[in-house]
Amino acid sequence: MQQVQRQSLTGQAGQRRMADQVARSIFFVCALLLVLVIAGIFFFVGQNALRLFFEKGGATLAGFFGRTTWDPAGVNNDAGTPMYGAAGLILGSVVITFFSVLIATPLSLAVALFFNEVAPIWLVRIFQPLLEIFVGMPSVVIGFLGLVILVPFLQKLTSPFTHNPAGGFGWGAAILVLVVMIMPTISSISIDALRAVPDSVREASLALGSTRWQMMYRAILPAALPMLATAVIFGMARAIGETLAVAMVLGGSDSLPSPLLSLQAFFQPNANITQTILNEFQETLGVERDAYWMLAFVLLVISFLFVAFSRYLSGRKVYK
Amino acid sequence: MSASNVMQPLKTGYEKSAARLLRRLHLTNGIAIGIIWVLALFVAFLFIGIIVQLVFQGFTASAEHSTPVLLDPNFYGTTELGIGSELFNTFYILILTEIFLFPIALGAAIYTVEYAKQGPLISIIRFAAETLAGVPSIVLGLFGVILFGSLFQFHVSRLTGALTLLCLNFPIALRLFEDALTSVPRELREASLALGSTRWHTIRTVVLPSALPGLITGLILSAGKIIGETAALVFTMGETNPFSGVFTLNPFISSDTLTIRIWYLKTQDTPPGISSAEASAIAAGAAAMLILILLVINLGARGLGRYIQRRVTAA
Repeated sequence: MQQVQRQSLTGQAGQRRMADQVARSIFFVCALLLVLVIAGIFFFVGQNALRLFFEKGGATLAGFFGRTTWDPAGVNNDAGTPMYGAAGLILGSVVITFFSVLIATPLSLAVALFFNEVAPIWLVRIFQPLLEIFVGMPSVVIGFLGLVILVPFLQKLTSPFTHNPAGGFGWGAAILVLVVMIMPTISSISIDALRAVPDSVREASLALGSTRWQMMYRAILPAALPMLATAVIFGMARAIGETLAVAMVLGGSDSLPSPLLSLQAFFQPNANITQTILNEFQETLGVERDAYWMLAFVLLVISFLFVAFSRYLSGRKVYK
Repeated sequence: MSASNVMQPLKTGYEKSAARLLRRLHLTNGIAIGIIWVLALFVAFLFIGIIVQLVFQGFTASAEHSTPVLLDPNFYGTTELGIGSELFNTFYILILTEIFLFPIALGAAIYTVEYAKQGPLISIIRFAAETLAGVPSIVLGLFGVILFGSLFQFHVSRLTGALTLLCLNFPIALRLFEDALTSVPRELREASLALGSTRWHTIRTVVLPSALPGLITGLILSAGKIIGETAALVFTMGETNPFSGVFTLNPFISSDTLTIRIWYLKTQDTPPGISSAEASAIAAGAAAMLILILLVINLGARGLGRYIQRRVTAA
């Protein structure tokens, strides 16, 4: 009798352990899926992209990264030769990313300092949900506003010196739209970065007789520097991959702006990588389509480098 | 005046320069803090202005009819003038994506928080999550085209769109769910394990119920991301609606969402049967609608999380 009871008890425990094992493996598969997805992205996008360089009628590496005429369908010349010069598109992406981060970073730092060091608590309570809403703001909404309000405004502003009826479109509008898109991201990571600096640092600095600004500038910002740099890198990654908002205000073009090194270059219809993929991928076939895969692969590699760099930086964090 | 006159002769050169330094420091401090105030308030007013402008446009923009779009019954219909089918599709794709996303991301979060030990495996998973979070959504859209569209033969359909959104939101949802799980105190787990429960039993009966408020907040926040996504869906779910039968649960038809509709109306060809003024008005209305939905979701996530927290802890 006793033996039977003990047997059923061990049987129950075995069943429990079995269920534990099964649950554990299911959860493990879920986590592994993440690794499979990212590996799959690199494999599939890379495989399609690199075909461009090995197929008949494809491109050369130097031609892809060195030329500036983007015309994979070959519709703009009489011979119908496809042109795979992506340098102009890459330049567009780099220029708007660089300038938008340049403008957004000081604004975001000011917002982060305001949140943590300057503002009264009731103001932070009002500001916080606003910032969170903007972190998740759909890019199409910002693009829509840019198209309806910003583009006509810039057109009016710049028409005296550009004399271009489409002068509102272009890099300038894209940069301003991107600032609105990435500033919330940079701000919220910067706020976390400043929050991670312990109060003892603040108190030590103030006790030595610093003013509040000296305390921020000499003690807190240096202490939070690695994570602030991570915030800026995340902003860059977001800016270079941003599609809808930028695509709606760029206007589109298949060659470089002219003259390139002038203010006018910012106020004429232009293109970047994401805008080109969004507007033209759908209607392509064959080798032509592989050219767009290659553009996507370039984006993928750039954003991967950003992530790798931010990981390196976060290894150097002082306060976590 | 008189006091400073009395003090003047007592000051040595050293004290004078110290006073000057002090004045300069306070001036710099004042200017710097003033600049921070100005920039922060500028950003705040910019954000508020954008939201107000969006809602305002939705209530004022109108085409030939003199009623503003948001109050026009046609706007909620299924003709070219309305966004009825887009609203349905938006919530359809939201629910379909969450059906995949919630269990899978929660499973992965349980693994990384409850089971995984420090080691190369967990580092690889973390690095994969960070990398995936950094992949631009348009690249993920193209990945969806080739994997779900071509290889799995789902073509351009709601299912392809939902699976692509699963990949896109996986890292964000994982992060939110991990936060919810780690906020459960260690002592609760240890108490349960000490009573002889297995890990799975502990998770099921102790950890998940305590983490519920955080999980629901995470679910709602990821819902906001899904509703706002466009770039990943254009190639995977389609740009336009089929002519009939939008209101079905069939996951194999292509359709659009609110965000895709806004983009399509403003940058692609104006659909037949409506003027470009009407298209602009509808886009403005759809944008206002989208922002109102997101406001409700965001504020709702906070409120609901707090409410459930109170119910769970008070009971």
